[in-house]
Amino acid sequence: MLKIPRKTRRAIAPYALALPGAVLLFIFFYGVINGVFQGFGIMPFLGRIEFTLDYYIEAFTRSDLSSSIVYSLYLSAVSAVLAIIGGVAISAVMTRARTSRLTRLVNIQIPIMTMHSLVALAVICLFTGSGLFPRLLYHLGIVSDPNTFVSVVGASSGWGIILVYLWKEIPFVAFCTVTIMANISDSLGEAAATLGANPLKTFFTVTLPLCKGAIVKAFLIVFTFAFGSYEVPFLLGPTLPKAMPVLAYIEFQDPDIINRCYAMALNGIMVLICSLFALVYFIVLQRERKGRM
Amino acid sequence: MAASNAAATRRKKRNGKPFSKLFVAIHVLIVLLPISVIAVWACADRWQWPLLLPEEFSMRGIEEVLFSSNGQGLAVMGQSIAIAFAVAVLTTIVAAMAARAICNYTWVGRNAYSFLLVVPFLIPTTVFAMGVQVLFIHAGIARTVFGVILAHSICALPYAVTIMIDVTRAAGTRLEDAARTLGAGPLRSFVSTTLPALMPGILSSISMSYILSFSQYFLTLLIGGGAVRTFATVMFPYLSGGDRTIAAAYGISFILATFVVFLIFEWLLRRFGLGKRTDLYG
Repeated sequence: MLKIPRKTRRAIAPYALALPGAVLLFIFFYGVINGVFQGFGIMPFLGRIEFTLDYYIEAFTRSDLSSSIVYSLYLSAVSAVLAIIGGVAISAVMTRARTSRLTRLVNIQIPIMTMHSLVALAVICLFTGSGLFPRLLYHLGIVSDPNTFVSVVGASSGWGIILVYLWKEIPFVAFCTVTIMANISDSLGEAAATLGANPLKTFFTVTLPLCKGAIVKAFLIVFTFAFGSYEVPFLLGPTLPKAMPVLAYIEFQDPDIINRCYAMALNGIMVLICSLFALVYFIVLQRERKGRM
Repeated sequence: MAASNAAATRRKKRNGKPFSKLFVAIHVLIVLLPISVIAVWACADRWQWPLLLPEEFSMRGIEEVLFSSNGQGLAVMGQSIAIAFAVAVLTTIVAAMAARAICNYTWVGRNAYSFLLVVPFLIPTTVFAMGVQVLFIHAGIARTVFGVILAHSICALPYAVTIMIDVTRAAGTRLEDAARTLGAGPLRSFVSTTLPALMPGILSSISMSYILSFSQYFLTLLIGGGAVRTFATVMFPYLSGGDRTIAAAYGISFILATFVVFLIFEWLLRRFGLGKRTDLYG
């Protein structure tokens, strides 16, 4: 075996360790960038290499696009904000109640393990016209027949979609914050309590600021997921406006392959919106790093 | 004075707890409600308005899932589990290596690398799937199990990396360095000092990646192109319409399959005496 000096080995080691991850990242970015390029009409495998803004212009002049963007932003913003509030509350309450392992398993692990579309199925079983909830209302004398209850499927407020995201993401946010909170509660929280601070004040002045990094990260993950996921709005969303990913996939599936450029232009707009959020995240991360030093 | 203050806070704490417990209990009910609804629907045969429980039960849905007309139910489930395991192992190894590079070494590009690793969190899977499909077709790995595993791993990577960075940072390098100084080889030092410390994170990362792969619908559909059938892709058409009993039967089998695997991981964690750090599981 070739003998490599120890110093050289030490210098090469991090790059060797980082390589497999870099390969996966390369495929990821190659895929995303390739998609964005197709939005500009560049499809080398079809011999089209001319740059054009036509598809973006077409996308932007389309009347239903702006309502789709607004609808997707609305769904993801509401879901993310409520999921953060709920998740932090659950996490704090669980820390305080010193819940058992079994409760944590049920409250956090089960929702993380359950697929989004299954939760959507449950919402359909519960809240469609003939679902369980209107049946219950019937027995209470509020609803007389299945047609009087406004079904969750296709509701333009998207409350069913938001409900699914909350059921899934509140425990996810709790998952991201519960370990930190338990540690804080054991050390600093105890100190604050001994010094006479009331629990609510301790929570807002000690616990919350220390969890800020984890909370911001969780918010971005939940927001992007809700913004870019297809299944839930496909199953529960209204005909108009459609969520962005649903709209893009409809165009993508079109038999005319040139139509894909149009789908990719829609995707490009999604990437742009998400990149803005990524930028904000990066700035927050840098600040935090500086703060730690 | 201090003592009475402490006593007062203790009393307050005790008073606050019933509220917290109630809150947690309500959450348990909210979590279990949709699952029990799916479980009941999976066995329901006739369930007319406005009855609150089905009139007749049957195993029709479950039979359809396990031994569907072409007898592929179990095969599809086996394939999904195999894919998810491969993804879990591959992603975790890659993430563990990346985390080691980031936490234990100083090198040019480290900050950029650690930022890029979490970017897939911030770009929707649908965008990635539609963009990468053509490339996979041209590379000849679309419609193959390998292609699906690769695509799933890419999506699971940021989650696995986040978990692995946390444990790798916590484990540090002091013990491993000490072992090296005492004359142990690099592999032996790693296996006997750092690896046990990383174990809870490794299991947590495996279980997270497994779940992400197992429940991936859109990406599997685009990359697998109907040739690679997983539980998620077979189940989805039933969800969007059609037979609700079969949809629910798929749903409950899906939940059970995931749960069983999760319990195996929990058991492994305990078996190796790693119970102390299972807080990573929440």
